[in-house]
Amino acid sequence: MLPEKLKRIDETRIEVPDDYKPGMRVKGIIYVDEILEKDLEPQCIDQVANVATLPGIVGASMAMPDVHTGYGFSIGGVAAFDLKEGIVSPGGVGYDINCGVRLLRSNLKKIDVVPGLKDLVSILYNEIPSGVGSKGKIRLTPENEERLLLNGARWAVDEGYGEASDLDRIESGGCIDGAEPELISKKAYERGKAQQGTLGSGNHFLEIQYVDEIYDEKAANVLGLFEGQVTVMIHTGSRGFGHQVCTDFLEVMARAASKYNIALPDRELACAPYNSPEAQDYLAAMRAAANYAWANRQCIMHWAREAFLNFLKTTPGELGMNLIYDVAHNIAKVEEHIVDGKRKRLIVHRKGATRAFPPGHPELPEVYKNTGQPVLIPGDMGRASFVLLGTEKAMAETFGSTCHGAGRVMSRHQAIKKAKGRAIWREMEDKGIIVRSAGRETLAEEMSEAYKDISSVVDVVHRAGISKKVARLRPMGVIKG
Amino acid sequence: MKTFEVIDISGDVGIRAFGKNIEEAFTNAAIGMYSLITNIEGIRESRKIIIETQSDSLEGLLVSYLSELIFQFDAYGFIGKGIDINIFRLEPSPFLKATVRGEEFNPEKHERKLLIKAATYHKVRIEKVSDIWEIDVIFDI
Repeated sequence: MLPEKLKRIDETRIEVPDDYKPGMRVKGIIYVDEILEKDLEPQCIDQVANVATLPGIVGASMAMPDVHTGYGFSIGGVAAFDLKEGIVSPGGVGYDINCGVRLLRSNLKKIDVVPGLKDLVSILYNEIPSGVGSKGKIRLTPENEERLLLNGARWAVDEGYGEASDLDRIESGGCIDGAEPELISKKAYERGKAQQGTLGSGNHFLEIQYVDEIYDEKAANVLGLFEGQVTVMIHTGSRGFGHQVCTDFLEVMARAASKYNIALPDRELACAPYNSPEAQDYLAAMRAAANYAWANRQCIMHWAREAFLNFLKTTPGELGMNLIYDVAHNIAKVEEHIVDGKRKRLIVHRKGATRAFPPGHPELPEVYKNTGQPVLIPGDMGRASFVLLGTEKAMAETFGSTCHGAGRVMSRHQAIKKAKGRAIWREMEDKGIIVRSAGRETLAEEMSEAYKDISSVVDVVHRAGISKKVARLRPMGVIKG
Repeated sequence: MKTFEVIDISGDVGIRAFGKNIEEAFTNAAIGMYSLITNIEGIRESRKIIIETQSDSLEGLLVSYLSELIFQFDAYGFIGKGIDINIFRLEPSPFLKATVRGEEFNPEKHERKLLIKAATYHKVRIEKVSDIWEIDVIFDI
């Protein structure tokens, strides 16, 4: 049952009215249907309402259907702020700055990799550093790390990881302008120096997948997807570097909030006015972390491609393992949107939400001008992931945003308890999915039952019209941290 | 008296630590955190590091102290097993100095449990309940 004050707007949205909590400047809108409404945590509703109290918020405080409780902002939260009156908050981006997803196509069919799948997964597991305490193969000198922070995926390409043609197919070209390496703490540099080109742990992964259903044949053609095809998906972020940037700036922002007399319902909402030096410094540091993440996914992709090439003894041309797209799902960006009929520049915070720009948007590369931006939604390791496209309706309703994943329904501890006495790897293998993980308990924590069904999350954004389904991908080989 | 227990929340994980005094509660919060990263029984106390941290509030001190330990682990692989809080004062502003005993984490040898990204202010609590100090802290995983 929904709390009394909440009302259903339509089949896919509920409204948190602006009198739900004192101090709300706008209403809240949560994209859930009647099925996902049952999993809605009361604390998420509070968090959506808390964000609505922040100065300069425009439109509505929104949450996507994969919403769950986060720190300050809920995960799945989208909020846009006016550049004059509004604020910037690290809590609206999260600790893992530019956590995101990239998807590679190939010319391979499922049948081409099934016979050697176990070996291929082992090779990828050995080639791509993952898990607690793992070190990367790259060691960054301070000068090189600085170049990386300024250039993102471009740095990686210059260093020989991947091709220049990859850059076109990354959100923001894999490098967001305005990073200022001199604003980065020594601690962040130290954490970043051995973690470039590492997957991390938790829900981060590299998956070998296959396309099992196409919903939009024309769009799939443009993206280079066909039924039965092998794809590779990479989900990771800015690693310890980004976590340290967030940790550092939460302290700065807590002091700033009191300096600028911003009343905070929750310390994790610490923020500063967009035009303040504190906010501008955070954004410049956040951009450096975002670039770190784009370089990270670029390096990992490069090693994955090499592993396929070596294992299958084929050529890049034959393999056709090209980047489809790369999206950020934890980021704050200045973007143009229409508010009350007027074009306005806003600072859009997406925390566990994916940009979903429509066909014709000037920020899209030529190849996707007519289709709209590819949106990549990873699910849990046993079920599915989805490829969608951005729409005009997303632009009009959600500042060009959509969901980012499945969202947990079970705590890690509950999941471990539920998995007791079971061999999750064997259950997965029985379903034809080969998994490797560094941590002993990772597979239990990450098992399918611990997550919402990704299909119901994606169905809501599709039915709400804020993105549209192109293809469903099924996992075959999974590498976890 | 229990030294700490795990707080179960969806998505992430926390520690509830106990102590006869605040120093002991701070120590147990850190030991609890280390136990989320690995099985600390397998850690040897062959090295020690000294950390110092300060903040403008007691909660801030807790978060920055744990953040420092996360940093030492994530940047240098140092994992602790024992902690002595050498100085703990609240005036003029909260400050602590601690000696942490442990070793370099070795993924071949030590169990790999959770990768902790950060200590958060989410529902942070430092409170004296009857005669026991209690600390709640949630980590971003």
